[in-house]
Amino acid sequence: MNTLQSLAAAALVAAGLSSQTAVATLPTDPISEAQALPAASPHWIWVNDFVFPHMTNGKAMLVDGDSGRFLGELDTGFGALRIVPSLDGKVIFSPETYFSRGTRGTRTDVVTLYDPSHLSVVGEIIIPPKRSSNMPMMANAQLTDDGRFLLIYNFTPAQSITVVDTHSRTFVGEVETAGCALAFPTGARSFFSICGDGTLLNVRLDDTGHAASRERTGRMFDLPKDPATEKGVRVGDTWYFVSFSGVIYPVVNGKSGLNLGATWSLLSDAEKAQAWRPGGLQQLAVHQGQNRLYSIMHQGPAETHKDPGKEVWVYDLARHSRVQKISLQHEAGSIQVTRDAHPLLFTIFIESNVLDVYDATSGAHLRSVENIGTTPTVLVTP
Amino acid sequence: MRWLDSLTESSARSLAKRISRRGLLGSLGGVLVGAAALPLLPVARGANAPQAKAAAANAAAAKAAAVNDPTSCDYWRHCAIDGYLCGCCGGSQNTCPPGTEMSAVTWVGTCHNPGDGQDYVISYNDCCGKATCGRCLCNRNERDTPLYVPFQSNDYNWCSGSAKANIPYHCSTARIVSVAR
Repeated sequence: MNTLQSLAAAALVAAGLSSQTAVATLPTDPISEAQALPAASPHWIWVNDFVFPHMTNGKAMLVDGDSGRFLGELDTGFGALRIVPSLDGKVIFSPETYFSRGTRGTRTDVVTLYDPSHLSVVGEIIIPPKRSSNMPMMANAQLTDDGRFLLIYNFTPAQSITVVDTHSRTFVGEVETAGCALAFPTGARSFFSICGDGTLLNVRLDDTGHAASRERTGRMFDLPKDPATEKGVRVGDTWYFVSFSGVIYPVVNGKSGLNLGATWSLLSDAEKAQAWRPGGLQQLAVHQGQNRLYSIMHQGPAETHKDPGKEVWVYDLARHSRVQKISLQHEAGSIQVTRDAHPLLFTIFIESNVLDVYDATSGAHLRSVENIGTTPTVLVTP
Repeated sequence: MRWLDSLTESSARSLAKRISRRGLLGSLGGVLVGAAALPLLPVARGANAPQAKAAAANAAAAKAAAVNDPTSCDYWRHCAIDGYLCGCCGGSQNTCPPGTEMSAVTWVGTCHNPGDGQDYVISYNDCCGKATCGRCLCNRNERDTPLYVPFQSNDYNWCSGSAKANIPYHCSTARIVSVAR
């Protein structure tokens, strides 16, 4: 230490001499305090990345769509799925998995709590080491409508939903969902999972987060004929799912429970003949205020339901009619639309790491942001 | 060249699956397909028919050989596989590489063996407990279903069924379970 102190003192003396002789000398930089983010913008986007070549290093990256500036990141553990911002914007929940020896040793699953303004860890909730490892889907982790309970899909391969109380920041328990996958909230105390026979499991929670009722609906989806993907999006009381061939299945949460609304197709007969179809990893997005549905489209044969596309088609959900086609700069597998009155459309593809930003209303390409992660998956609005 | 042939073959066949659980090789395959197509253009115009016939014959022979090669994506058992081939990672089509653990449960396919003309039920057990192998990624998952039909879905990490090694995924095998009835 004495040697280091001597060197530091010599450096300070040298700096002092220098400042006396050179008018334009720059001041020394102090070791800075942790920086806070600027005021949150509705045009920010979180890009989740499960970093497939190095799955222990999952992360989520925050980008400002207006400037293209990379604002910071969260490190989210092995095979990361998605982060879940709280409804009030005061905390970010992130279901994460860690092993005590890298890829071996004791597995610990946690919900890590982050401060959204400093991207720092402020707490964690230990949960059962069961959360599913799969291609990331939005329905892997969701909040109930009042933000009280966090629902996390488990697959061991036994299926269940972990319930976390975000107020007390404690693990509540599990809801068994045998034969049924993922979590789609429908209210402050309710959600459903999709079952392998095409029915839905409608779950109601009590005020402590435990299951008050679990009921199967009739069959909603026709799996052998034309499977509906699990990549649903929601406007109000309705979850919209799209089938491999482009048929929209609206699942409506009404007073009588979950019902299937009238189905409709994204495609005209001519477009079907030209082999247009939807595809992608996060292939649908919505803007609730404008009642618009956005779908990634490509041309290809059957079973290309995961293909990326170079077009996004926009639909009026009230009229079931297409209102716009947006030509993309790059192939997109994931899209998201911001929730404000002047929304942005973000696109990215797992095999690329270029985040493209468009005016969601005009379809104009605004900017591309390069080098966003390694294998980016789902896009989450703050 | 065998690896290149199998790579382009599998990529062309399963272009759809580029964003499946481990289907991250598609873009590379697409580049290779494009590169291979350029020199073939004169052949396509009929400028050199004998060479075209020879090339076609060679390609057919290579594909026939690949159908019986466990390290090829075209190996007959791989009709519904999605992952790194354990035969390229220190194991084989039915054994895990040293130090990894075979998952107990997984997804299955039904594959036709041209050698004996029979269909077999193939179980694609993952080998678990180490980081991803990164060799011989093969992606033939035409019958893939959404996550709510787990045993036909390639979007799961099937090391989820490994009680000992847990979820770190390394590579995939292709075990014969039975003759399909």
